[in-house]
Amino acid sequence: MDDRRTRFEAEVLPHLDAAYRFARWLAYSPADAEDVVQDALLRAYRSFDALRGSDAKAWLLVIVRNCHFTAAKQRQRRAAVPLPEEIDLEDDPAMISQDPGPEAATMRRDEARTLGRLIAALPEDQRTVLMLREMEGMDYAQIATITNAPIGTVMSRLARSRAALKARWLSESKESPHAMR
Amino acid sequence: MQCAESLRLQAYFDSELDAASAHEVERHLDHCVECRDLLNDLKLLRDGLRRELPIERAPGDLRARVLAAIDREASPARPRVRPTVWRLPAFWAGAFSGLGGAAAAAALAWFLILPIGSSVLVSELVNAHVHSLLPDHLIAVVSTDRHTVKPWFAGHADVSPSVADFEAQGYKLIGGRADTVQNQRAAVVVYRHGAHTINVFSWASDRPAVTRATTRNGYHLDFWKEGNLQYCAISDTGWDELQGLVRLLRELAQRENSPT
Repeated sequence: MDDRRTRFEAEVLPHLDAAYRFARWLAYSPADAEDVVQDALLRAYRSFDALRGSDAKAWLLVIVRNCHFTAAKQRQRRAAVPLPEEIDLEDDPAMISQDPGPEAATMRRDEARTLGRLIAALPEDQRTVLMLREMEGMDYAQIATITNAPIGTVMSRLARSRAALKARWLSESKESPHAMR
Repeated sequence: MQCAESLRLQAYFDSELDAASAHEVERHLDHCVECRDLLNDLKLLRDGLRRELPIERAPGDLRARVLAAIDREASPARPRVRPTVWRLPAFWAGAFSGLGGAAAAAALAWFLILPIGSSVLVSELVNAHVHSLLPDHLIAVVSTDRHTVKPWFAGHADVSPSVADFEAQGYKLIGGRADTVQNQRAAVVVYRHGAHTINVFSWASDRPAVTRATTRNGYHLDFWKEGNLQYCAISDTGWDELQGLVRLLRELAQRENSPT
């Protein structure tokens, strides 16, 4: 019956997973990412009439990013910046650089953890651009919209993040020579 | 010392260049070792990321909680969608409800470029794709085996499309279902690419082939025709990724059709 809600379900909600991943790349813990995404979707619903058939996915991610800034400002005012939950003992470098073990499965798990940690160590603007491109498959124009940056900036951030990740990944995987294959 | 072409090479890698510039980069690659190495690194890094990083999904109950929050929010005085002159499917009504200059221009361009009927077709396909992403709507036959998926279509759709698992190339076959396109039964083959679902529709068509690729509402659609089968691949993945699957499917169809 409710036309607006039906359209919202059809056009915006399919991008819920992408919004959640984006929040995670903005360094939110799973629980905080859920809150940010729920907040963003409520806001999206309120301003849904502004979408008018344009790129719903990019539009939703812009709203997630705005919610992220609002939340960050509120946290700053309270002067209590919680550490993301994901940095726990398991991700401690001393734990990871242990012998990866002979089994391929173990090696892949370690590699994923190493990569995840290296990505987490990138500056936020580089990390989001890289993840939007490589994991979300978005093009430069969409990334420029979402990160509110000129396309030239998107390109240089992308180049910097790729170079940094490549260099660190190589130096991390000196003991496990299969890491790049 | 980095080659001055490195940013353009990256754009080439990300499929952001037009054909002429891409050709220039390819010629540059013939004699620049540094750029060849860089291109190789870019590929290794992309493959590594997509292979190793887990694809996160929103927790199952988040969708329900969002909808509940919206329902609480919905006030009785919510704005009505203005009736439009064109009778568009409900899905698109919102897109044209506020016919501002840009929207009107875009809509006009849309109708000028595409053959008559295409815009209805595109909205039909986008609609079907989005519907399929709702929980439990995606797949009727769950299988990663083409020998299961292909015969299933014989009983449920009027066509027998090319089906194969391209997991090695990053496109995992996850199943199929039947749908309706242009009032005909259509076969839909479902692939997973990273975090993305790609639906490949196919239906019998005597009409001229629809071949123009297009983007609607964040979804890319690529069309092609094999014999009398019209295909459309649709996803919110990137253009290059979508076209990668299209290329594999077209090669497969050619192999199937050529005498051995």
